[in-house]
Amino acid sequence: MIVFEFIINAISVGSLYALIALGLVIIYGILKMVNFAYGELIMVGGYLLYLVGANTNIPWLIAAVIAVVGAMVVSYLTELVAFRKVREKSLTALLITTFAVSTLLQNSALIIISPRAKAVALPQIFSTTITIFNITTSMRNILTIVVSIAMLVGLTFLFRNTILGIALRAAADDFQMTRMLGVPANLVISSAFVLSGAIAGVVSLFWIGRTASVTPTIGLGPLLIAFVATVIGGMRSLVGAVVGGFVYGLIFSFIGVLLPQVLLDYREAFMFLIVILILLLRPEGLVRVKYAQERVG
Amino acid sequence: MLQVENLQVRYGAITALRDISLKVEEGELVALIGVNGAGKTTTISAIAGIVKAVNGSINFRGHSLIGKSPEVILRMGIAVVPERRHIFPSLTVEENLRLGAFSRHNRSEYRSDLDETFTLFPILKERFRQIGGTLSGGEQQQLAIARSLMAHPQLLMLDEPSLGLAPTLVDQIFTLIITLRSRGTTILLVEQNVERTLEIADRLYLLNTGRVEMEGSPEQLKSHAAIKDVYLGEGKAGGNQL
Amino acid sequence: MKRARLIAWLSRYSTIVILAVPILLVAAFTELIAGTLLIRLVTAMFVSMIIVLGMQVFMGNSGILAWAHVGFMGIGAYVAALCSMTPHIKEIAIPQVYPFLLNLQLPFWLSLLVGSAIAALVAAVISYPLMRLSDAAAAITSFALLIIIHAVLVHWDRVTNGPRTLFGIEEYTTLWISVSGAILMLILAYFFKESSLGLRLRASREDYHAASAMGINITQVRYLSFVVSAAIAGFGGGLFAHYITSFTPDAFYLIETFNVLAMLVVGGPLGISGAVIGTILVTVAREGVRAVENTINLNHLLPFEVIGLTEVFLATVLILSLILRPQGIMGSRELRWKPKQSSGEANELDAQPASE
Ligand SMILES: Nc1ncnc2c1ncn2[C@@H]1O[C@H](COP(=O)(O)OP(=O)(O)OP(=O)(O)O)[C@@H](O)[C@H]1O
Ligand SMILES: [Mg+2]
Repeated sequence: MIVFEFIINAISVGSLYALIALGLVIIYGILKMVNFAYGELIMVGGYLLYLVGANTNIPWLIAAVIAVVGAMVVSYLTELVAFRKVREKSLTALLITTFAVSTLLQNSALIIISPRAKAVALPQIFSTTITIFNITTSMRNILTIVVSIAMLVGLTFLFRNTILGIALRAAADDFQMTRMLGVPANLVISSAFVLSGAIAGVVSLFWIGRTASVTPTIGLGPLLIAFVATVIGGMRSLVGAVVGGFVYGLIFSFIGVLLPQVLLDYREAFMFLIVILILLLRPEGLVRVKYAQERVG
Repeated sequence: MLQVENLQVRYGAITALRDISLKVEEGELVALIGVNGAGKTTTISAIAGIVKAVNGSINFRGHSLIGKSPEVILRMGIAVVPERRHIFPSLTVEENLRLGAFSRHNRSEYRSDLDETFTLFPILKERFRQIGGTLSGGEQQQLAIARSLMAHPQLLMLDEPSLGLAPTLVDQIFTLIITLRSRGTTILLVEQNVERTLEIADRLYLLNTGRVEMEGSPEQLKSHAAIKDVYLGEGKAGGNQL
Repeated sequence: MKRARLIAWLSRYSTIVILAVPILLVAAFTELIAGTLLIRLVTAMFVSMIIVLGMQVFMGNSGILAWAHVGFMGIGAYVAALCSMTPHIKEIAIPQVYPFLLNLQLPFWLSLLVGSAIAALVAAVISYPLMRLSDAAAAITSFALLIIIHAVLVHWDRVTNGPRTLFGIEEYTTLWISVSGAILMLILAYFFKESSLGLRLRASREDYHAASAMGINITQVRYLSFVVSAAIAGFGGGLFAHYITSFTPDAFYLIETFNVLAMLVVGGPLGISGAVIGTILVTVAREGVRAVENTINLNHLLPFEVIGLTEVFLATVLILSLILRPQGIMGSRELRWKPKQSSGEANELDAQPASE
């Protein structure tokens, strides 16, 4: 039975990681920009949960909605105020801008709230466990899996069936051509940021759900996870990101059990070594696109 | 309908267009020809709002296009089928076409447009759910044209639609251009296949090193020495330097 | 003709003098009138300048983001510290230290060189394959490298004392030592940029394909500049260790990376003048805001403690600078003495603006 519990745990981690990776790749696909400020969107979600929970009697579910919307708004604003102005310049300038925005958001949290960790009140359901067929697991795990899968299904629908979703995928293929078909550039990019923010917001609920506290630097962990996962899965495709997230989640869970303690300390270093190796040996990641990249004639 | 005057375009230090003036009247099929690097694609890109003009004016139905973004220009009624097609490789044929209709909002119109597309391009019906990147070159070209037509452009700009296609496909494309034109679409065509272009165009512009070297009817151009040398007889070197 | 060439040569290398003289004046001035606090600040500024110059060598010339740079600074700092500490202090500071390290003790200057050499060696061993990558892949791998270096520093208890503070390092880095180091590295970075290697690297930055078509082995020139850059960073790290005297691995992580990037980008990464001016301006601005922050906190001017104001300010400056002047204050220019009959051969690459 312990095996099943482990598996559920691994799936829970994997589906959350898949979501984390997806939020990063949506932006990367279109702008070829690695958003170093992505983790701070999760931080924003976390602080909103804390602020609402600590200062009002608003139920958690509504606080969660506020957190998600807040992350969407901040994501949109970072694009509007900073990235849009640098977008046309160089990629290096854009990357440094995302790093600066990350520092800005982190330290704003330091000033506005506190450098110390703040406890976030969680709903009862996060700390209960359930037993099905003799398998005991926390409700949090189940919730993570259910919500992540629901998000993934919803996003799949969006990307496959709505014109906005198709335009987003098209923009990742060929941004210029998308505009030549009458799709406004800013609409595509803003929507991508809003979506990325929405994902970060949902992630924040479960990320905070593990530790029940939030700090200004809480975003670094998910950011690194997103890096590793997207590189494993392939940075070019949304499917790749999801696969990469799951694979990373599984590897991470297994390493935790299998590696001896001495090496466990180096788990992060080890994962990033894999990242470097993949980028060198198989830059397209696990999920290859089905067509030749540049096909003429 | 379209009027370009004294257009000048630069890529950094390189001046690609020095002085281009041309016009396209309602219902006409106008062609741009010229050696590689003459500035044909750049002219099209400037009209479509992809590259910025340093100097000169571009007017479409009395409105200036200078400084307008590609998406706005499309909505004004100008569509481009760019050089090398640029279909979306990871999207299906269906999705490519749907995106072509992005600027239109009428769903029932979309259905009838699709039916029309299938009569013009039967192959696209067969490949409807296939990924764009896996189509053959000719199929991709047809998809690119079909996609642009979904926007119901008043002016269609085609940049080398026959590039890299087998002779039978080239025939098909040229037949298609004639069909489109007979339906009343105004066309600005860039072509390397000068012989065929001379057969179908109303007027042609011969570009060279960013300037209009000659303008006229197919008959007038056929008698021009440069055309004979470069396109209809032996090529002579030196034409394509800036 | 000979005279024209001499003037061209003088003009080209006048940058070094134009930058070095004010640096020396600032140092002398500080020494004469300032108190210990300001002397320490200026010392730290010149240490930072070395790190920024090191980053410029790679990032400025190759156009590739170098996240790992501060990691090499960390390697230099730890190695130099280990070399210069007395066995007695080492035993206390790093309880689990390897025996062979315990008895190692070198003079300060040699420790600096060893630190620099080890940083360069690590870079030389690991970085060659990474130099093939560009754009986002390059940014992610070098970021990954920073994380790996940090993880090793944090966990290698027997060398670094782990995540705990390493203390007991002698304060050898005086104002004059850090100034001399900065000027030395300035000269090195400038000669590197003007060397044929630097020229080839800059050509690859301007136009990758044209450069490789010209027969430039881009991977190789990037690699060599990366190693030089790591050596400079390691040297700066050694000076830093003997200035600050106690630190943790976190001193060589994201905050420091942000600082160094801000200095380089605000000044202009394409040239040495940009690196120098950026370091000075950002340091002055940062210390100004920090003074305000401290005043607020010490006098309880606000009902709460203000922490992070400096970083918010710096980040805002950095973002504004990227929006308004993405090539920094100096762009691709260098401060340079230009005689009247300016010679055409001065520097072809400087003549045209770098492509975006
Ligand atoms: N993005 C660019 N950057 C720099 N120079 C460019 C760019 N695009 C085109 N050029 C230059 O501008 C000039 C005109 O190019 P253009 O593509 O308009 O020629 P063309 O007539 O379409 O040629 P072809 O028949 O080969 O398609 C060429 O000399 C080309 O090298
Ligand atoms: Mg062309």
